[in-house]
Amino acid sequence: MAGASTKGVLSHLSLLEVQARSRKTPPQQPSRVKELKAKAEALMTQRDQLKAEIETHKSLQKLRASMDKQCTHEEEEEEEMAIDSENSQLLRLMARHTQLKDLLHAHDIIGGYNVIKTRKGKGLCVSLTTAYNGVYLENYNLEMDLKPTLRISRDNIPPFIPLKSLAEQSNMQTDIRTLLDPLSQHLNAFAARKQQLKLVKELHKSVQVMESNALCSLLVLMFTVPREKTAVLCSLEYTDHTRCLPTRVHFECEDKGLPDSPEWKKNSSLLMETPVHKALITMKKMGDIV
Amino acid sequence: MDESTKRLLQRLIRRIPTQMLRTTLDKWGRLTGGQLHSMDFTQSKWALTEKLLAICEENELAVKHITELEMIYIIDNPNQGMWYAFQLMDPEDDAHSVELTQFKEQFKSHLRELIRHVSVKIKKHTDEAVWIRIAWGDTFSRPNHMKPTYVVHSLQTPYVFVTSLTSKQKPLLSQALVLSTRYQAIKDANLSGRKLTAIRDLLMRQYHQVFPTRYPTPLAENNPAVSNQHIEKEQAESAANRLQAACEAFGGGMLPQLQSAVYKLETKFRDHSNKTMTEREEPFRCVVKFASTNLLESLRHCASSGIASTPVTPLLSSIPLKGKNYFVITDNGPGPSSQMRQPQK
Repeated sequence: MAGASTKGVLSHLSLLEVQARSRKTPPQQPSRVKELKAKAEALMTQRDQLKAEIETHKSLQKLRASMDKQCTHEEEEEEEMAIDSENSQLLRLMARHTQLKDLLHAHDIIGGYNVIKTRKGKGLCVSLTTAYNGVYLENYNLEMDLKPTLRISRDNIPPFIPLKSLAEQSNMQTDIRTLLDPLSQHLNAFAARKQQLKLVKELHKSVQVMESNALCSLLVLMFTVPREKTAVLCSLEYTDHTRCLPTRVHFECEDKGLPDSPEWKKNSSLLMETPVHKALITMKKMGDIV
Repeated sequence: MDESTKRLLQRLIRRIPTQMLRTTLDKWGRLTGGQLHSMDFTQSKWALTEKLLAICEENELAVKHITELEMIYIIDNPNQGMWYAFQLMDPEDDAHSVELTQFKEQFKSHLRELIRHVSVKIKKHTDEAVWIRIAWGDTFSRPNHMKPTYVVHSLQTPYVFVTSLTSKQKPLLSQALVLSTRYQAIKDANLSGRKLTAIRDLLMRQYHQVFPTRYPTPLAENNPAVSNQHIEKEQAESAANRLQAACEAFGGGMLPQLQSAVYKLETKFRDHSNKTMTEREEPFRCVVKFASTNLLESLRHCASSGIASTPVTPLLSSIPLKGKNYFVITDNGPGPSSQMRQPQK
């Protein structure tokens, strides 16, 4: 083999081969352009998408405004929509959806209490209902000023319900439910206790009500034991004013052993766990009282 | 029965109207059926008094029985004399569990500690109110039953109503009340009137209060005068608005009967046409008094008929809102709780 001349030719041939091969691969510049073109297209589609969303949102807002107006004025007006019917149906649904979401949110904030705007938005009036045993009882109201801070201006809450201290202890500036929930609890418990007293007077004429007070937190009843005709004085203390069941039951009788007897111990726990007018029915059935 | 007891009975019988005498004596229960029957209520008061005196002698009744009778009569007819409202302040923790027997014992013992000769009678009325009758004596003399003080209080509420109390007796009563109800202080509530039921209903909010609602029920106005159908139609909406505002300020339906409202002004004189008066440094003191057989009703009617503009000025609406009918108005900002800021013109 001719070393030097073969080297020269072979090396030259391999060089040419490499050159020929490199010509077959596509050049860098055009690929970069295509890349950028593709990116531009993607961005344009995104822009079109966003534009469409904005348009939808605008039409939604218009539709929602007309829906809100419909609700307040109860008018049967059909708002003109400059889009085809299929889209308008969908849009209507979406608007209704946002409306319901907002309503749910408002309901959550005010906790389901009946609230209305007063004095052109400068105040509001909250209505608290009380009920017991499926019967609606008294309605109580709070009128509040919104500016400069939330403040109670008028109310018809009875004076023995600690409204002022409940307001002070609450976080009503940020969450009005921290005032309304405990207040409603107090009012409902009071209404329940009051109703129980009324029922005791109506249904159990043989039981004498010796003492009660305006807050209905104390009740003293006089029972008559059937056979011996002895009198039993029963004191019910309701120290927890948010509950309608007593926190303490105490019997007093001439027969010192009676309160410790098994039947009367049972009666004691019965009175702690059942509303008094119902407990008396049971006690009568068991023959413990007249 | 000694002379003073006889005089007490005579005065009491003179005071009780004849038509109420029989029921009151019946409730008293100190006369037998026969004795009650023997009284002829068509006779003159003088004759009845003599008869009753004789019967009481027969039954050997004493002063304490006569005061019982007086108390029964007053409890059934509380709307006489002048009643003043007081408010207990800052309850202790156990104020809410004060019950009747405890209150009775504590009140009597505290009062007896403060003044040796005093006669106290406490009775619980069916409507949860505790009635107290106090006959005051002093270190040397026996209790004077001719001028008793009556006190009415509902436990667990901050209000106390008092009639016939002198300024000397006031601190003694205040002390005894504060200690026995477990509060820290007592102050004048600036509300007074002839009808106990009215001032009590006002403070305990036991009358129909009107609040803004979404669906207002039509409020009845006692105004039958219909002059012209057209005027009525035009004015319907504004009349309804005025009525709503008037009822929200004062209440709906029957209103507690107050007889007067007094505004004591300690404000500077303001009338630019009168330089001498406006130049004075000291405030121009004057007292404005509104009087009526039913003040709140009159004010409500002023608002609903348009004489007073709506929304009702806080000067007037404060009467039911704050439960007061005595106000001191000064120029400088909010003073003590009995004062009210003058509205800026």
